[in-house]
Amino acid sequence: MVFNSKRIKLIFAITLLSILTLVAIGAVMAQDELIGEVPGFASWEEVLAAAEGTTVNWWMWGGSDKINTDVDTDIGQRVQELYGITLNRVPNGAELFVDQVLNEAAAGVEQGAIDLMWINGENFKTLAEADLLYGPWSEFIPNAVYVDWADPALAYDFGYPVNGYESPWGHAQFVMEYNTALVGEEPPTTFEDLTAWIEANPGLFTYPALPDFTGSVFVRHVFYWVAGGPEPFLGEFDQEVFDQYAPAVWEYLNSIEPNLWRGGETYPEATVMDSMLANQEIAFSMGYGPADAANNIAQGIYPDTIRTFVFDTGTISNNNFVAIPFNSPNPAGAMVIANYILSEEFQLKLVDPAKWAWLSPISPAVYSEEFQQAVAGMELHPATLSPTALAAAALPEPNGDWVTAIEAGWIKNVLEN
Amino acid sequence: MQRTFRWLAVIAIVLGVALPVIPQIIWSLAHRWLFPALLPTEWSMSSWEYVFSPSSRVVEGFMNSLEIAVFVCILSILVGLPAARAIALNDFKGKGIIEWLLMVPIIVPGIVSTLGIHQLFIRLHLTNTFIGVSLVHLIPCIPYMVLVMVSVFSNYGTELEDTARTLGAGPIRVFLNVTLPGILPGLMVATMFTFLISWGQYITTVLIGGGTIVTLPVVLFPFITGINYSNAAAISLVFVAPAILVLIFTSRQLGQDSAVMGGFGRL
Amino acid sequence: MNRLKLMEKLRVPMMLFPAIAIIVVLFGGGMISGVGQSVGYFPVIGLNDFTLDYYRDVLTDDGFMTSLWLTFRLAFLSTLFASVLAVAFALVLRHAFRGSRLLTLIYQVPIPIPHLVVATGIVLLVSQSGLLSRGSVALGLTQTPRDFPVMVFDPAGVAIQLTFLWKEVPFIGVVVLAVLKSVGPQYEEIARTLGANSWQRFRYVLFPLMLPGILSTSIIVFAFVFANYEIPLLLGVRHPTTLPVMAFRNYQDPDLALRPQAMAISMILAVVAIILLVAYKRLAKYAVES
Repeated sequence: MVFNSKRIKLIFAITLLSILTLVAIGAVMAQDELIGEVPGFASWEEVLAAAEGTTVNWWMWGGSDKINTDVDTDIGQRVQELYGITLNRVPNGAELFVDQVLNEAAAGVEQGAIDLMWINGENFKTLAEADLLYGPWSEFIPNAVYVDWADPALAYDFGYPVNGYESPWGHAQFVMEYNTALVGEEPPTTFEDLTAWIEANPGLFTYPALPDFTGSVFVRHVFYWVAGGPEPFLGEFDQEVFDQYAPAVWEYLNSIEPNLWRGGETYPEATVMDSMLANQEIAFSMGYGPADAANNIAQGIYPDTIRTFVFDTGTISNNNFVAIPFNSPNPAGAMVIANYILSEEFQLKLVDPAKWAWLSPISPAVYSEEFQQAVAGMELHPATLSPTALAAAALPEPNGDWVTAIEAGWIKNVLEN
Repeated sequence: MQRTFRWLAVIAIVLGVALPVIPQIIWSLAHRWLFPALLPTEWSMSSWEYVFSPSSRVVEGFMNSLEIAVFVCILSILVGLPAARAIALNDFKGKGIIEWLLMVPIIVPGIVSTLGIHQLFIRLHLTNTFIGVSLVHLIPCIPYMVLVMVSVFSNYGTELEDTARTLGAGPIRVFLNVTLPGILPGLMVATMFTFLISWGQYITTVLIGGGTIVTLPVVLFPFITGINYSNAAAISLVFVAPAILVLIFTSRQLGQDSAVMGGFGRL
Repeated sequence: MNRLKLMEKLRVPMMLFPAIAIIVVLFGGGMISGVGQSVGYFPVIGLNDFTLDYYRDVLTDDGFMTSLWLTFRLAFLSTLFASVLAVAFALVLRHAFRGSRLLTLIYQVPIPIPHLVVATGIVLLVSQSGLLSRGSVALGLTQTPRDFPVMVFDPAGVAIQLTFLWKEVPFIGVVVLAVLKSVGPQYEEIARTLGANSWQRFRYVLFPLMLPGILSTSIIVFAFVFANYEIPLLLGVRHPTTLPVMAFRNYQDPDLALRPQAMAISMILAVVAIILLVAYKRLAKYAVES
C-alpha cells in the first residue's frame, strides 16, 4: 500500500480526534446539576437544599457487621459532612420492604417509613408493577453521567426495565468457593468435571434450596449449560423454550442428587452452606460476592484454604440497586445519597480490597486518572479473582419470569421428587 | 437409690441447661474456631467491641427494648389486672366466651393477624411510634397476664379488703395495703411473662416500628441467620442477660406458688 | 341509690372493657384482614371477589396431609417427651437438699431464653461439625464431620425436638413442681404407712396430684409448637415440612399472589388447633374427674 501525505494527514487527524474524544469521554466530569427533571425538584441546588439537615431512612439487610460498619462510616459520616444529612440505616432480616410499602399504599399513607431501599430484582418488579416507586430520577442525578445506561445489565434489573426508578451502586458476580484441603488446587471448572468430581466424592457437594437466590442462580447456570449459553432465556418468558430445556435440567439435577450432601434428602440455606464449607462438612459453597471468601477468611470464619473460581463457560453477574418508594418523605435526601454512592470518592472505597472489596457497576475509565492508578495499585487477596478475569466470564441474568418458572419447577421436579 | 436418682437429675439438669449455652459464650470470644478444634484457635474481643460500637446499634436497641418492655408491663397490668379480677371473682353471662376471646391471640398463629394489624395501625397513625410498638406488643401479653392473674384472684379472698374498707380505708389504701401484698407473687410472675414477650417481639416491631424504633431483636435477627457466629453469640448474650436477671427476681415465686402457674389450666 | 345500683351493674363490664377492647379492636381488626385475604379479598393486588378456592387448593394439595401429620407429630412428641421429663425432674426436685434452690434456679434458666437463641445454641452443639462432633474426634471415635450422626436438618427433626424440649421441660416442670411443693409430703406419708410401694405411691398419690398441672401446661406447649414456624424453618429439612413453615414461606414470597394461600393455611391451622384444644380439654376434664 502506498501512503501519500494527504492520507497520512487524514489518518493522523482521525487518530488525534479519537484520542481527544476518548479523553473527553474517559474522565467524565460530573457537574453538580440535574441532567433531567425529577419529580418535585427543578434543580440539583433545590434537591441539596431540601436534603440539608434531614434524616434518610435507608432500609437494608443488616446481617453483616462489615457492611453495617462500612455503610455507617463510608456513607453515613460522609453525607453528614458533605450535605448535612443524617443516615438512619434500618437493619432488616427478611425482605420486608415490599410488605412495608404495600401496606402503606393500601392504607393511603403519604409519608412512609422508607426513603431509600437496597432492593433486588424480584421486589423491584413487584413494586414497579404496582406503581409504588418514586421517579423517574436515577438517570437525572448528577453522577448518573458515570452510568452506562446503554449496558443491558444496568438498563434492566432481571430483565425488567429500570427506566430511571433504580440507581446502581455495586456489582455482583457469581463465584464458586472451594476448600483446597478437600478439592486440591485444580477445581472442576466445567459442569462435566464438576459432575465427575461429585460422583467421585459423594456427600461433599450441594447447593442452597430454591427459591433462595444463591440456589436459584446455581440452577440458572445449569440451564445455561444445558442450552449451551444464556441466549434462549434473555427475552420474555417462553413456555415452549422452557419445556425444551427444563426436563434435561431436572434430570441432571436428579441424577447428581444421590451423591450430594445427605444424599440430596435436603438442601441447606446459603449461609448454612458457608459454615459447612468452613467446617469441612462440604467442599464447595457459592455466592454472588467474589470477595466474600476473602472477607470470611479475614474474619476467621473461613480457613485459609478456601479459594474461588468461575466456570469456563462463565458465571452470572448483576447489579445492586437502590430505589425510592412513592411515599418517601425525603426523596431529596435519598437522591443525594444515591448520587454520593456513585461518586469517585465512594466508588474508590467500594472497589478497594482492603475496604469494601466489592465490584463496581461503573467502568473505571469514566473516573479520573488517579482513580485508575489507585485501582491498578490495589492488591487482591489470593482468594479473590481479578476484576478482569471476572468481567471476562460475566454472563447476563435471564428475565425475571424465567427465574420464577425455574424456582417453581425445581421445587416440583427436584425437591419434591 | 434415691440418692442415685438425685445425682442423675442434678447432672442431667446442669449439663442439659449448660450445653447449648456454653458454645455461645465461647463463640462470642472466638476469632477462629473451625472443625475439629475443641476450643478456638484464635481468641478476640472484636465481637464485643462491635456490640458496643454505635454501628451495631446494640446499645440503642437495648435501651429501646427496655423502655418498651417496661411500658408494656405497666399497660398490661393496668388492663389485665381489672379484667382478671372481674373474671375470677364474678359470675356473669358470657363469661366463657370472654375467657376464650382473651386467649385467642395465643391460639391463632401470628401470621394471620400481623399483616392486618399493620394496616390497621397505619390507619390509626400508630406506625413508627413508641406507643404503636408498645400496643402491638401488648396484644400477646394480655392473655398471659389475665391467665396468671385470674388464677391468683380465684384463690384470693376478698374478706380482708372488706374489713379494711369497713375500718374506713379508701380504695387506694385498700389496694396498696391489702390487695397488692396478697397478689404480689403472682403479679411478679405475670409481669415477668409480659416483659419477656415484649422483649422477644421481632416481626411486629419491624412492621409497626417501621425502622424508626430499632429494638434488640431487630438488631439480632439478621445475625442469627447469618454466618458470623461470634457476633450472633455476643448479641444473643446481651439479649438474654436481662431475661435471666428478671428470672432471678421471680424465681422463688415461680417455684413456690402453685396458684400462680395454675392459671395456665384455664385455657 | 339507683345510681349506685347502675354503677354496681357496670362494674364488671368496665373492668373487662379495656382488655376486651384491645383484643377485639387491635387483634380482631387485624385478623379480619387476614381472613379477608384467605377468601380472596386483597385489593392491593386486585383481588376483590369472595372465593373459597384458596382453601380448596390448600386442602386438595398432595402435600397437605403429610404436612398436617408432620406438624401434629412434632407437637405431640415434643409435648409428650417434655411432660415425661418434667415429671421425672419434679419428683427429684421436690425434696429440699443441699443446693436444691440453686438447682431449681438453674432448672428455670431456659424459661426466659428466646427460642431462636436456643436453636442457634443447639446447632452449635449437635451439628455434624458442632461441639459434640469435635469431642468425638478428640476421643478418636470419628474423623470427619460426616462420621457423626445427623441431628440437624434431618427428617426425624432431632434438633427441633431438642430445642423444644430444652425450652418446655422447665415450663411444665415449674408448674408441676409448684403443685408438689404446695401439697407437701403428708399424702405420701399416709400412703407409705398404708403399705404402698414407691410405684404405687407415684401412680395413686403423686401422679393424680400433678395431672391438672401437666394437662394445663401441656396444652400451651402443644398449641405453641403446633403453630411455631421459626424452629422447623431454621433446623428442619426443606421437604416435607410443617404447615406453619408452608404458610410462612408463602407469606414471605415476593409474589403476592401466594399471600391468600398463606392466609388460608394459617386459618386452617388455627381451626385445627382450636379443635384439638377443645378435644384435649374435654379429655383432660374426664381424666381429672376419674
